Amino acid sequence: MAIASDSIRRARPLLGTFVEIELAGARRSELDCALEAAFGAVAQVHRLMSFHEVDSDVSRLNREAGLRPVSVHAWTYEVLATAVALHRRSSGVFDVTIAPALQALGLLPPLKDRPVQAPLAGFADAIELRPDHQVRFQSSDVMIDLGGIAKGYAVDRAVAVLRDFGIAGGMVNAGGDLRAFGVESRTVHVRDPRDPGRAVCRIDIADEALASTARRVELFDSREPGGSAVIDPATRRPASLVDGVTIRAPSCVIADALTKIVMICGTDAGELLESYHAGALLISAGGDVQITSDWHQRVHLAA
Amino acid sequence: MSWVRYTVPAAAVLSAASPAYAVRYLSIEEAQKEAFPSATQFSEVQAGRVWKAEAGGKVVGFFVFDRVVGKHLFIDYAVALTPVGAVHKVEILEYRESYGGDVRSPSWLAQFVGKTSGSALKINGDIRNIAGATLSSTHITEGVKRILAAYGNRLR
Repeated sequence: MAIASDSIRRARPLLGTFVEIELAGARRSELDCALEAAFGAVAQVHRLMSFHEVDSDVSRLNREAGLRPVSVHAWTYEVLATAVALHRRSSGVFDVTIAPALQALGLLPPLKDRPVQAPLAGFADAIELRPDHQVRFQSSDVMIDLGGIAKGYAVDRAVAVLRDFGIAGGMVNAGGDLRAFGVESRTVHVRDPRDPGRAVCRIDIADEALASTARRVELFDSREPGGSAVIDPATRRPASLVDGVTIRAPSCVIADALTKIVMICGTDAGELLESYHAGALLISAGGDVQITSDWHQRVHLAA
Repeated sequence: MSWVRYTVPAAAVLSAASPAYAVRYLSIEEAQKEAFPSATQFSEVQAGRVWKAEAGGKVVGFFVFDRVVGKHLFIDYAVALTPVGAVHKVEILEYRESYGGDVRSPSWLAQFVGKTSGSALKINGDIRNIAGATLSSTHITEGVKRILAAYGNRLR
């Protein structure tokens, strides 16, 4: 008898990390097609939103949008619209124009033909979103990096592709920013940011996203800076209030972005979390774990 | 929104220590078939490392197996190259994290000798999904570059 339903789990290096896609609930040939399309969507987000690739929308914006309106892909436009909304609702704490500060700290490379300059303060309306996917920057000093949001968006796109293929359930995990869909509940272990050899908790999720950020985790013994530094726009220094944050939210793009805000604001972000229907677990520098009251039943500490 | 605070005793967390986390995605043979579904034959060009994929006597590409080792990470991956030496696909075959020691220590590495097919390592099998701060895949990117430099022009 033929097996009506199969499952498949694959991982590829994308977005500067390991992207894993797991899916089930269809025939193997359908799963294979859906898997390729989902990895394709992640690769597309990488091509559009990488700071490092010269042909990406982000690089074109950084070169030209201060001089003239630049036309971008609908996905890039959508991410920028989300970033602008988050910037407003977080009173400027979430800020994709932080790129010069990341360069000054050596977390992003300098751009060719453009000196690393001192970041300018207070870009309230740095990014102007015009009709027809056109984007204009307030000045040619504005430089963006979507590293704090694009990975979550890529996960959402991959999940959307899998759903379009009629896949019943699965999970997309981009190096820890993940989203599950379908009815099945899944258990996720969260590394302790202070000691990645330990799991600080396990969390049950179903049809929702989870994203985490920590001050620094080094699993490879590389000398390169970790990809997880969160910069406080107010001080232009890495956030130091919290050691690590895990956010649960309906979408991964929101979960990803909210990790940065909670790293900087700590428990003061409670209202913002609520407005995005999100929950948070934060590990304070002192070692205490704090969990939003809507969520603490599903978080199992010291798994 | 209100917050619930937990003061986690160090001992409780320590008891949750996971010595390793591992996922086996594909064997070399499975990855070869997925990378080149049309291929009818895979012949070794370099033992255990490079294979030529052929379909009906025609070269459809090359398959290169490699491994990157960090302080705590140990990853098997494969690069599928087109007949002209361009990257067709990069796939993770097996991903492992180990703690409490350096993965390059001979005793740790010795666990994997001979484990080439069908013998998925069972370490901490109860951890199925792991999250936390994003891990960098830079070592894989560097590995792919090395493979391209070494084989990109030489195979064919």
